[in-house]
Parts: sequence; structure tokens; C-alpha cells
Amino acid sequence: MAERKVMSLPEAVERFVQDGDTVYCGYLMLPMALVMELVRQRKRHLELVGASLVYQATMLVLAGCADRVRTGYIQGALRPGSITERMADGRLRFEDYSNQGIALMLMAGALGIPFIPTRSFLGTDYLAPENQHHTGHYPGYRKWQEMESPFDGQKAVLLPALRPDVTIMHAQRADEEGNIQWWGHKGDARWAFWAARRLIVTVEEIVPSDAVRSDPDRTAVPASRVAAVVHCPYGAHPSGVAGFYDFDYRFVGEVLAPALDSDAAFAAFRGEWIDACPTHDAYLERVKARYGPDALDVLKAEPHRPLLPVDYGFAPWFNLPVREDIP
Amino acid sequence: MSGARPEDYTLAEMMCIAAARLLPSQGNALAGLGPPILSGVLAKVLYAPDLTFSTEVGAIDWRPDPATATRAPVGIHDELLNVNVALTSDMIESLGTYLMGGNVDVGLLTGAQVDRFGNLNVLCLGPYEQPARRFAGTGGNTEIAGLSGAVVILMPQEPRRFVERCDFITSAGYISGPGARRRAGLRPQGPNYVVSTMGVYQYDTPDGGDSGSCELVLSGVFPNVDPEVVQALVPWPLKLADRIDLVPPPTVEEIRWLRRLDPYRYYLTPGRY
Repeated sequence: MAERKVMSLPEAVERFVQDGDTVYCGYLMLPMALVMELVRQRKRHLELVGASLVYQATMLVLAGCADRVRTGYIQGALRPGSITERMADGRLRFEDYSNQGIALMLMAGALGIPFIPTRSFLGTDYLAPENQHHTGHYPGYRKWQEMESPFDGQKAVLLPALRPDVTIMHAQRADEEGNIQWWGHKGDARWAFWAARRLIVTVEEIVPSDAVRSDPDRTAVPASRVAAVVHCPYGAHPSGVAGFYDFDYRFVGEVLAPALDSDAAFAAFRGEWIDACPTHDAYLERVKARYGPDALDVLKAEPHRPLLPVDYGFAPWFNLPVREDIP
Repeated sequence: MSGARPEDYTLAEMMCIAAARLLPSQGNALAGLGPPILSGVLAKVLYAPDLTFSTEVGAIDWRPDPATATRAPVGIHDELLNVNVALTSDMIESLGTYLMGGNVDVGLLTGAQVDRFGNLNVLCLGPYEQPARRFAGTGGNTEIAGLSGAVVILMPQEPRRFVERCDFITSAGYISGPGARRRAGLRPQGPNYVVSTMGVYQYDTPDGGDSGSCELVLSGVFPNVDPEVVQALVPWPLKLADRIDLVPPPTVEEIRWLRRLDPYRYYLTPGRY
């Protein structure tokens, strides 16, 4: 019998995330239920990677789960505060790349090649030797190498491949076998699905395999890449999911963003919204308790379905005689 | 719709409008985070319906419908970018095949600092090793600046933002002057512009950075702005164009559209600039 992939949030995190792991933690459709479960299970010394790390990463750093980031964008550093203080005093180590850089590094990891060239970073101070070894630098890690192409002499910057130990993501749907389907713009997440050693995905819906296999263009990765699938409606809240619900600006503006300004504010947020909520459903109930029973309904997306259906049809028989003459 | 009168426009609004007027009427635009998005969408609605609009999350050729538009995308990732768009792809396509592959005619950017040669800094103030102020980082700013066919930068006219040399060049313009782009391995680029809250700058280079001084040159000023005031706000001897255009004030239609596209004042919060 095939391995059981559908499981609970706590089981998925307990089995497939280890202290010290390098974790790709999502983009756009953020795996917020998984992030909060990492906090509940008190994971430690995680390295967070991704093109642009936003509040999901700030939460994991302030919760003491993560102490390193490799990324093109640290949203928590936009304003001076708890994240910039950690960057300055060494509690949070960091390697600055860019969106394209991280996407390429994940792609190289997914392809199983050691590095990948780009023309990004040329002409910038990122390439200055002194900036390879700054305060937040990870010991023993080489950031990039400028070189001339051995074929035509063009300048290029080589970036090292990036293979997360685990990728956590949220997507629209999956089947019970673990095939993941998604749609909409994808940021750098496509290659994080392929690059990760272990993959945990929360989904809005579990659908029959027939449905998945009837529209295979929408599949992000086949089941063999997936370690765990968790059925978790609103698992990306307060971020949005195309076709399901939109970003919860009110919650982020009034509850989440102020909680990320200082350690004290985060401790209060964590107590109320994570530790006091043993499940994601309990967290969603708390959102409704604060903003009213329709708090999630008002986020619901208007339908925008394709105007024409897609047809993958083929002819079951070729216009050739079936060879019954060959034994 | 805002109750503000068009004649009470802010300088930030004027900056977005002036940048929108500069965009080419066709070709492919890629807009980075912040006011460049608002400016790009305004251009599409009013002046350049055939200019394609894309963001680095993977939305390629998104089209606002002027009849039903409730907002410009809030951020580069707004879910509305999944509707009425030619291609929803990922960053390997948007910043790789699309941008680095040579398909982007104009990049729209902002930043914390811009310098004499049009380089941008979005990473830190002071030395990288011990910054006086750290920011989020580049996102896709580095590659959009370096690899677009031309770049339009929106930058509030503040002494801390216009500097002789960026504290950290995250995003290459003409780097250190003529020939520097080619030496670094980058293609010539232009015509580039910087649009501030006081006027419009072009660059002193006829060929995308191979010759000329490659410095910013003030070529237009907004209503009631004296070029010498702009010069006084810039820490290097700013060159003035032989003829400085007077940029017309916003039209009623421009202001109405700009405010309609930013109903939550995400981009145009008074006092932000």
C-alpha cells in the first residue's frame, strides 16, 4: 500500500522538520498555519531561505525558531526594531541576495547542479570582496564568484545551488496521493518545490486524484516529491490564495504588524494567537471572535474562471491498422 | 473618490504623474515595489494602453480595465494580478527569461538613495559592515536596474536621498561614469530618467553610458520650482540642461485617476514623501 501522505499539522511538522534545518518558508500564498505550528513545537536554529521573506520569517525569528536568513528581502528590516537589532548584534545572521538570485539558486538546487550563472549583481557593491565577509556572514560559506565565461568571455556571477532541507508551502489543492496543484503567479516557490529534500504542503482542498489527473498542467510537483499534505482551509491567512480569499489587510495592520515591532509586543501576540490556539481552527475562531463571525467571509474571492474550458483530448487509436500479425 | 481638489495635488502625486507621462507608448514595462506600480498603471490607463505592465512575482502583461478598476495592484503580488493577465509565471521567467533574456524595455524603480550616476541603494545607510540604518534589501531592484533596456526612477527630492555616491550600490545605473557599464559586463541602457518631487532628470550620455559624463542633468521642473533650489538640494555640482522644461501641472483627469487607483492611500499617504 502506498505511504499515507495526508496527515495533521502537528504530525507533519514533528516528522519532517528538524532543529537546524534550512527551511524555504513560502512566498505569496504563505504557509502560515505551518509557520505557527513551527512556533508551537519550538523548533530551533532554523535557517530561513526564500527570495523575499516577509512577516512569516519575522515571526519565526522573534519566536526564537530561526537565527539565519538567506534572502533578497527582509521585510522585518524595513523599520528599525527587533529584527535590525538582531542583525546588528549577531543574533540574526544573514546573507543578502536578490529575488532573481535566490530563485536561480533554488533552480540550481532543483536541477542538481552545483552553481548557476547570472548577469545580476554586475556593477554593484555586492561583489566587493569586503562585502562577502560582513558581521552577519555565515562562517565557511562562499556567497558568489564573479567570472568570465570560458566560451565567449562574457562576465557572469556564479551563485551556489540552494537545497532546503524542507520546503513548507500552501497551495490551492492536492489529492490524497500528494500531487499538489496551484495556480496564479508563483514567485520563487516553483523551484523550492523541486529543490527541497522534504516537502510539506497545506492545501485549501483535498480533491479526487481523477480531478488532478484530468488537469495536469496545474500540478506543481508530483506526489513522489511530497512528504506530507495537510488539509488546512485558510492555512495561508492572513495572506491570500487566488480563487479562495484575499490578503487580510485589517488583521495585518491592526494585529500582526504591530506585534512584530518589539519582543514585548510579539510575546503578547504569541501568547494570544499561537500558544493559546492549539490548532489552526482555534486560531481562525479567534480571528472571528475579534472581528465578527463574517471576518473570513469578507475576504472571499470573487470567482474568475477561465472563459473557455481546456481540453487535453487525444485520439485513442492511430489511423494505422493494429498489428495482429506479429505474435 | 477623494474629496481633495485637483489643484491641491501633492508633490508625490506630481512625481507619479510626471513619471507616467515619460513612459513609452509601447514595449514592455516591469514595475518594482512602491510608487512605480501606481505610475505604471496610471500610464496604462491614460497614455500607454499598449505598453505591457508586469511585476516580478510572475504576472506578465496585466491589464487594468478602466471601467471596473478598483485599485492599482497593492504591492507587486496583489491577487488582482492573476486576473486579465497574459501569463502567470514565476521569478525564473519574470526576472530570468523575460528580463535577463532581454524582453524588458523599461524598468520602473524607486529606492532609498540615488546618486550622481543614477545608481540605486535599497540596502543600508552607512557602511554595510556597521550600517547607521539597515533596510529590507533589494528584492528584484538589482536585476531590474541592471538588465532593463531603460530605467525610470521615482525618487523624492530630499538631501538624504540624492547623494554623490550611494552608500552601497545595490542596483547599477551608469556606475562610475562613461564605459563603466560595459566594463562591469552590462549592456548600454537608456534613455533613463529620474523623476523627483521637484522635477525630471535625464542623463548626460548620448549612447547609453559609453560616452558623455553619464551624470544626472536636470531637464524639467514642476510648477513653481526654481532649478537653483533643486541644485541646492543636491550635494554635487548638478548640471542643468540647456533648456529646462516647465512640466505642466496635473490635469483634473490625471489626479482623479491617480486617486481612484490608490483608494487606500497605500502609495500616496500624505506626509510619506
